[in-house]
Amino acid sequence: MAEIVWDAPGTRVYETGVDHGVLYLPDVTGAYNTGFAWNGLVSVSESPSGAEATPQYADNIKYLNLVSAEEFGATIEAFTYPDEFAQCDGTASPEEGLFIGQQRRKTFGLSYRTLIGNDIDATDHGYKLHLIYGALAAPTEKAYNTVNDSPEAITFSWELTTTPVAVPGFKPAAQLTLDSTKVSSVKMALIEDLLYGASASEPALPLPAEIISILAAA
Amino acid sequence: MDQRLLKLQSLLNDIPGVVKAYFQPPANLTMQYPCIVYERDSATTLFANNTPYRHTKRYQVTVIDPDPDSEIPDGVAALPLSSFSRHFTSDGLHHDVYSLYF
Repeated sequence: MAEIVWDAPGTRVYETGVDHGVLYLPDVTGAYNTGFAWNGLVSVSESPSGAEATPQYADNIKYLNLVSAEEFGATIEAFTYPDEFAQCDGTASPEEGLFIGQQRRKTFGLSYRTLIGNDIDATDHGYKLHLIYGALAAPTEKAYNTVNDSPEAITFSWELTTTPVAVPGFKPAAQLTLDSTKVSSVKMALIEDLLYGASASEPALPLPAEIISILAAA
Repeated sequence: MDQRLLKLQSLLNDIPGVVKAYFQPPANLTMQYPCIVYERDSATTLFANNTPYRHTKRYQVTVIDPDPDSEIPDGVAALPLSSFSRHFTSDGLHHDVYSLYF
């Protein structure tokens, strides 16, 4: 029997950072076939909700817990956003340079990367790719302030709610995460070519079924 | 001097009443008054995408003028991202020190 060892070299793992944000817009079929770089990404706060337990009592004891459905939400903070995100933020642009607010909000997909570090490789240890489907941005405040005696930039913020998409063999989900320390580098490269585009392909957000089939392939 | 610093040099030189603006002058330089002496002081960096997204240098800008009622400090105070730091007198010269992001 092996004895448990805490904090052994290489196992002091942590996560940090966020970068490589990409916005994906769905076409009429729901496929996310166009992607746009999201510059100035400051943070993505994942905030799942639901999965609340409702206790049921019988025979003078707690008989069982009924658990409500879980939903995925998030908050994006960034210094800027892709022009194409405007339509997801309720802004229409009928003419170049003209923007009309309070329009219908389009759903979108999102991917971003976070870093995995450990005590040996630091943040070169690995990374996670986070894929979000069926996101809808809620209206949020944009506080424009005077230039003052210190350089500041507005940090825009958007709260997202999501509509899950089908996942073969599982309940519908709005979020997938891929861990480069566990997925082979070849398969990660294949998925990143899909996400970020390559010389012969446009950036696209593959649906969960395609991700699973790539990972399941020998 | 890089282009950004040249622009600041020109901006400070053009303040009415300034004979010359000196960037980090050597100690043995004989300066002509009224003048502005400025030097690199600090910097502020905003981060995004795991990298520095915007880097802004801060300068300490000192107006040196024998006139206690000089209008040159008003010119420096009117620059965007400028804030007054302190005033002192030395060798009969009035020093008004500002922090300026540029």
